Amino acid sequence: MKRLLVSLLCVSLLGGEPRVDPKEEALVAKRRSYWAFQAPVRVEIPAGVHPIDHLEPAKRPPLELAKLKRRLALDLTGMPPKDVSGSYEAMLERLMASPRYGERWGQKWLDLVRYADTNGYELDAEREHAWRYRDYVIRSFNANKPFQQFLREQIAGDELFPGDKEALVATGFWRAGPRHVVGGNQDEEQNRQEDLIEMTHAVSATFMGLTMNCARCHNHKFDPILQADYYRLQAILAATEFREVQIADGEEAQAADEARKRHEAKLKPIVDEIKAIEKPYREQFRRDKLPTLDQQFREVLEIAKEKRTEEQKRLAKEAERQLSPTWDEVVALIPPELKAKRAGLRKRMHEINLDEPAPPAHAYSVFTVDEARKTHVLKVGDHKHKLQEVEAGLPLVLKRDLGDFALDPRGRRAGLANWLADPENPLVARVFVNRVWQFRMGQGIVKTMNDFGTLGARPSNLKLLDWLATEFVRSGYNVKHIDRLILTSKAYQQQAERRRRMDSDQLRDSILAVSGMLNPKMGGRPVKTPIEPEIYDIIFTEAEPDNLWPLPKDRSEMYRRTVYVLNRRTVRLPMLANFDQPDTMSSCPERATSTHALQGLTMLNSEFMQEQAKAFAGRTGGDVAKANELALGRAPSEAEKRQAREFSKKGGTAEDYHLALLNRNEFIYLP
Amino acid sequence: MNSFISRRNVLRASAQGFGAVAAEWLLQRELQAAPHFAPKAKSVIFLFMVGAPSSMDTFDPKPALNKYHGQPLPASYGKVGGQFTDGSNPLLGSPWEFKRYGKSGIPVSGLMPHTAECVDDICFVRSFYTESVVHAPAMYQVHTGRILMGYPSMGSWVTYGLGNATDNLPAYVVMPQPEGTPEGGTPCWGSAFLPAVHQGTLLRPGPTPILHLKPPAGVGPERQRRTLDLIQEMNRMDTNPEDSEMAARIASYELAFKMQSSAPEAVDIAKEPEHIRKMYGIGEERTNDFGTRCLLARRMVERGVRFVQIYSGGGPVSIQWDAHSHLKENHEKMCGLTDQPVAALLKDLKQRGLLDTTLVIWGSEFGRLPTSESGNGRDHNPHGYTMWFAGGGVKGGQIIGETDEFGLRGVGERYHMRDFHATILHLLGLDQHKLWYLHNGRHEKLTDFGGTPIAKVYS
Repeated sequence: MKRLLVSLLCVSLLGGEPRVDPKEEALVAKRRSYWAFQAPVRVEIPAGVHPIDHLEPAKRPPLELAKLKRRLALDLTGMPPKDVSGSYEAMLERLMASPRYGERWGQKWLDLVRYADTNGYELDAEREHAWRYRDYVIRSFNANKPFQQFLREQIAGDELFPGDKEALVATGFWRAGPRHVVGGNQDEEQNRQEDLIEMTHAVSATFMGLTMNCARCHNHKFDPILQADYYRLQAILAATEFREVQIADGEEAQAADEARKRHEAKLKPIVDEIKAIEKPYREQFRRDKLPTLDQQFREVLEIAKEKRTEEQKRLAKEAERQLSPTWDEVVALIPPELKAKRAGLRKRMHEINLDEPAPPAHAYSVFTVDEARKTHVLKVGDHKHKLQEVEAGLPLVLKRDLGDFALDPRGRRAGLANWLADPENPLVARVFVNRVWQFRMGQGIVKTMNDFGTLGARPSNLKLLDWLATEFVRSGYNVKHIDRLILTSKAYQQQAERRRRMDSDQLRDSILAVSGMLNPKMGGRPVKTPIEPEIYDIIFTEAEPDNLWPLPKDRSEMYRRTVYVLNRRTVRLPMLANFDQPDTMSSCPERATSTHALQGLTMLNSEFMQEQAKAFAGRTGGDVAKANELALGRAPSEAEKRQAREFSKKGGTAEDYHLALLNRNEFIYLP
Repeated sequence: MNSFISRRNVLRASAQGFGAVAAEWLLQRELQAAPHFAPKAKSVIFLFMVGAPSSMDTFDPKPALNKYHGQPLPASYGKVGGQFTDGSNPLLGSPWEFKRYGKSGIPVSGLMPHTAECVDDICFVRSFYTESVVHAPAMYQVHTGRILMGYPSMGSWVTYGLGNATDNLPAYVVMPQPEGTPEGGTPCWGSAFLPAVHQGTLLRPGPTPILHLKPPAGVGPERQRRTLDLIQEMNRMDTNPEDSEMAARIASYELAFKMQSSAPEAVDIAKEPEHIRKMYGIGEERTNDFGTRCLLARRMVERGVRFVQIYSGGGPVSIQWDAHSHLKENHEKMCGLTDQPVAALLKDLKQRGLLDTTLVIWGSEFGRLPTSESGNGRDHNPHGYTMWFAGGGVKGGQIIGETDEFGLRGVGERYHMRDFHATILHLLGLDQHKLWYLHNGRHEKLTDFGGTPIAKVYS
């Protein structure tokens, strides 16, 4: 304790620079020369030349304009183009200004931060207010918010911009990942450690492009990130806790409160009636069960409540637990006619609940408490084996002056945000421009987008990466500027070496766009879409499974864009899962592309596809030319017209023809 | 390797131009996906008992428990971690008698008279442990190696490593309890960051065993074939033969079409002779469901499916092995549902010569405590519990590992889930260290930083 005090004093006397352990320093010193930790070097670009054409000349001939425009629309909006008029450049500007642009980028960002609308694990509860972060992300990309600001808001919006609701919502970044919430005996320290693991991974993978999870357990031989670095980063978060903060003003909150009361009043008679039906059977269960209870429990129940000792109270509580039936035990006792009545009442209850008023607006955010917990290095990551205590700090290999960063628990995240957003930070700009490049080109300049460390891939073109990174900083972290530079390059506009398949979200959204059923409404609470009975069956619950997936009253809500569809960690929608939608359990920098038979089955036989094909055929009135125009953005060839006629002659229906178009490689693969 | 060669011939025979490329592509994938050394088992059937059966009431007799019934656990045992209790409740003797069976003389309780007949083919490991007292995390650890969600399941790793031995069925099928899913839910058979092709596919008895298998009502096979022909014709127009991925997409539609006839055939147990159905308890109220699923597992393995996962228990608490109270009623019920079908599966595989190449695993997320809960139940016990292996190169008729005199903790050789997984991979001819996938800068493996195959299981 004395030593700790002394070292704290030293730190403050020396101007806030914590002492560096010479052993640690020796371990990372050699690694400092690694390319990713060096400041980017900007090469000169000859006047009048597109910088990317100079640095990464196209290898293949240009793609023809019509196809290029289709590729552009799918990349920027996630859907085929509606309007292809004007020049490529004009279309580019139009699409960048479209709100669809932010939705497309939003999904990309949400993949990275493994956003979902539920906690995950067995209970997998929905997070009432999480969606505001999703909308914040989409808004930010649409507004072309400087990335520097975007970063600072997410890391420390609460500390840096007190009172700013938008910035508070942004801190939902820290909570986007899964969280294990369960009852029973809890190891609080283990739970806290799990939260910290999630947070540490999130910030290192997303912004620093460093995989720090190896360092959780040990110092890696080749990796410059030390185990102590990992826990220093955790210490930055030592005073950070999860909290929902009300952002609704008084009037709004009062209105929400009154709406809730009205709703509950509407429910009450039905709930009471159900209770009345169940009451005798709950009592019957109790009567039948009582004699089977262990003697000690029977005895304790006979003692008058007020006379029970503490131990007897505990036993009585346990006895009561055993005597309260589960839903299925009650239902099993109810005779058929009453059972039917009860089912009808429950149905009515669920119907009323479809109009359940939204609670007053809250930010799903983090909060800084006054007292930071102590942070230790943990032996092999085990919270039961604490090694030395560490102070908040940044990876030694990247360390610069931190000021008094480590001392005050309030403001550590702000320190981290400012360090990340510093133009001198060698990683952040590189990591982000590499993501833009990968998003548009299909492959990163550094192929391991979340790992710029020594175990990751080397850049295929360091000059290009560095030029883009410096340009990004110079432009004031202007995302659209970098995007535009890439999209106007010959490298982007050349013919594909390997065509990219639509990802699951592009696929669903494009189908909806082509069929005409897409509901373009933006934002708000996540929406449920119909699920197959087989999927309904695998939703885990110990409660009565009669209302696990209520569909919205307004059916057009089910045709919203995929980014607004309820993303439940344990209930994956087959159509999306089959096309490699990420599982939202870890950061996904790049979607996988697998090809397998179940995709074909879903694309041919699911109710969704049948419905879409029917709507699509209805929209074209069976007109082959119109169908091709909508799905593929071009007129059918003579051979294709003949093919359509032949199909029809053989008895093929218009719906089937339209279904086939949506299954076509030309539709599903970007040009 | 035979299956690969026959695949090649089949695909070649039907191949016209694109088909050949696609076949080549699929084949390439399969050739990369091959064992690292000579395998003992080709396929796996994993029988998972949801909610956790009690070891000291099934396969790990503890006479001391009955002797000291009602007394506290000796203080020397220290603090006990359960989910709802802390070991301070009195010890609960087992309500069942144990008898010795087979040439090996292995003891089994009166709960499992049918499984008892198979002990000479079974290798019991009594000292497995998991690292959570809560169902879902412990289930994740058994299925994926970590207590956290988000890692590929064992079946996904195995199909990633070995590919499929059939074109007509998914490589990895899962049959949950019809009443509901286990706590861990879909991540128990999810592929996590591995490509979606490696996820477990739900399989259910009946005419539509696989989701979206059949065309919607009113669309007959002829009509579907016609649409499919149109799609394939269009796709050939679109596809550069050099583009193996797009070509593979053409092949995948043919496989989907084949699956439409092969999957219903595979689950059609009406053709099974009466004595076989009877053996599994099909037609008997208690055993019909689990018996059907066990028989389906055998039919899947026969047809080349690599990994079959069956759950006993899920959904309502009353259909789980989670006997926090009324252990006797609960375990009699759950054993009644499963004991005969499990034994029938082992005997049936054996009589067909399939047991040699099929690894059957029986297990759960943890066991149960020797102390009581609610007077007549038991809380969770991840500290030492029994799972067993049979077939697929396993040396039967033996017991490995042990627990203390009350069955609370493993003593001596204790086995982590990494060892469990390393053993399974080894039997399948897979080197745990070579079976990796690069994810976010890390070579992720089923056994993480490595387990030790339990050599006694197979030698």
